[in-house]
Amino acid sequence: MEIILLLITLLFAGGLSFFIKKGSSAGMVTLSGQIIAAVFSFLLCVRAAGGVPLEVLNFFYIDGLSAFFLLLIAVSSMATAFYSLWYFKNDENTGFYYFLFNIFVFSMYFVVTVNNLGMMWMAVEITTLASAFLVGYRNNKTAVEAAWKYVIICSVGITLALFGIILFYYTASSQTGLRNLNWTELNAAGKFLDPMVVKAALIFIIIGFGTKAGLAPMHNWLPDAHSQAPTPISALLSGVLLKASFYAIIRFVIIASKSVGFSFCGNILGLFGIISLAVAAFFMLVQKDIKRLLAYSSVEHMGIVSLGFYFGGKAGIFGALFHAFNHALAKSLMFFSSGVIIKKYGTNNMHQIKGALEVLPFAASAAFLGMFAIAGLPPFSIFMSEFTVLYAGFKNGFYYSSSALLIFLAIIFGALLFHFSSMLYGKKPANMSASKESAGITALFGVMLLFLLALGFHIPDFLRTLIGAASNVIFGVE
Amino acid sequence: MYIELMQYSVLLMAFSMVAAKRFSALVTLFALQSFLLFLLTFSEAAKNGSTRLYIVAGLILAIKVIAIPAFLSRITKKIKVPDGMGLYVNTTLSIFIAALITLLSYYFIRNFLPAMDKEAGAALIISLSVTLIGLFIMIFRIKALAQVVGLLIMENGIFLAGASITDGIPFFVEIAVSFDVFVAVMILGVFVYRINSLFTHIDVDKLNELKG
Repeated sequence: MEIILLLITLLFAGGLSFFIKKGSSAGMVTLSGQIIAAVFSFLLCVRAAGGVPLEVLNFFYIDGLSAFFLLLIAVSSMATAFYSLWYFKNDENTGFYYFLFNIFVFSMYFVVTVNNLGMMWMAVEITTLASAFLVGYRNNKTAVEAAWKYVIICSVGITLALFGIILFYYTASSQTGLRNLNWTELNAAGKFLDPMVVKAALIFIIIGFGTKAGLAPMHNWLPDAHSQAPTPISALLSGVLLKASFYAIIRFVIIASKSVGFSFCGNILGLFGIISLAVAAFFMLVQKDIKRLLAYSSVEHMGIVSLGFYFGGKAGIFGALFHAFNHALAKSLMFFSSGVIIKKYGTNNMHQIKGALEVLPFAASAAFLGMFAIAGLPPFSIFMSEFTVLYAGFKNGFYYSSSALLIFLAIIFGALLFHFSSMLYGKKPANMSASKESAGITALFGVMLLFLLALGFHIPDFLRTLIGAASNVIFGVE
Repeated sequence: MYIELMQYSVLLMAFSMVAAKRFSALVTLFALQSFLLFLLTFSEAAKNGSTRLYIVAGLILAIKVIAIPAFLSRITKKIKVPDGMGLYVNTTLSIFIAALITLLSYYFIRNFLPAMDKEAGAALIISLSVTLIGLFIMIFRIKALAQVVGLLIMENGIFLAGASITDGIPFFVEIAVSFDVFVAVMILGVFVYRINSLFTHIDVDKLNELKG
């Protein structure tokens, strides 16, 4: 029941924001909508964490895995709605923005809760369509170029994924006479599926949804879209959209592993994971644009999540899921704080940003600390999840890939440190004076940093149970 | 028999689209290809007397044969760009590559799915070829509108797969997918307008400001 209320709330908030003339009120409506939606998803998490999946109307299906992603979406979209208020505080006519924002978040909630895999495919496509105008929101040359590439590349990916879904349906219907695409029933039929068909299907699925999940070499849309979208949308794309697409991959991997074994699925993900890390490391070293730097960092982190699945085992999966959560938090923080800096300096070019610590002490410190967090330094929580993934790698005997992961992490840390220290220190431009920063935004940064720190020391039981429930779904433990 | 004939005609249409040099020809051929899919679905519906297949056939006719081609022609008239599509590779080479794609699909399906029965296998080879040919058109044609049609050709290929190797993907998924395609084309159309007004052309090879 909560899920229906949740989705209705978002639609209602979207519709209402569209018709409100005043920008800030539309933002408030959206923020309240996200908060109510988050409350409902917490309720769902509490119920699903017990291990008993919820089925609603034979249409929605919420188990531990869905619940974990619900939490991820809820946290990020709430923070982003709050940040949007500040980001668009001087803009009029933001009704359209907030309308699309709600539809975008709605479609992501839909992806992780719907049972029918065909409908899930459709929901993933709707995330693209809803966010297309958000990416092209500025409506200048570069924004339209980025939006065009985004829609075209992601639609192609999604179309290939549909081919994979049809192959899954083909083998299920010819082997077991299944007449629908419900995940629960496909999963139950998993071990009867023809392994060869499943292998072919899985390649299409991983390439297709992997395009949207930002795995290299299908990531070309990602830096463009992230750099041209308004900053809150960049955070949402990076923090949640990539994970929602990865969720789609996980759902199919669970079914496929029953027929072709988990290691086959893991190997494909591992290959894309390593490529993603290598591509990200290279482009981060030579990057000039701060938002593109962060975008490539998302490619890197999705690579780490994929590697977690490659390494497998309880530790690998736990690390991967926990990493997805940490990355959503840390990357949102990075985009938010960089957004403040970009707004002040009026440029994305890192060579033109100097002395940010002097000009914007709070935002720049948040960016600096956040940079250490996304680079995976202790005591931040990303260190814990990366460490878990690495541990799984070495424990399960993946010495080469784990060592490669370590090397890439070192390169990326160097790149981040180099870029950020030159932006934050140095002499501030003469015409720029230190300015008062918004208290709300500073508080948001503080809360997010606190979360990242606290999770690094101790994972609350609630989150641990939730991730446990999610990995039970992946391993097929009843 | 005539079902197979129609499936091969769908592939033939894909080849003609590869050969097409003008955008208007591409749209007409796309409408024809979709019409073949309509006929396929309609004959299937008549055979089984199933209402849901009639609805799906009706949707194809309304969306892919009539609405989308009309919408695309309207855009071309409005933005007044030259009708040529801009080929990266000339027609002969394009057709050669399309043939290669078909061969590749053949080997892929035969290797991965050797157990599949002959008719289903042939249908799957055709649909995979059509899908990949659509992708080829998206990559190797310069005009933004050609990319939209390429995407639609891919969708047609997928639809053929769904219709011929399974007995139709579940009904409401099918409806959702058609609706989705329709919305996607509308949104892409809006972006074509925007590209045209900002850049005064719709050549995607010149959309290259964002790099690295």
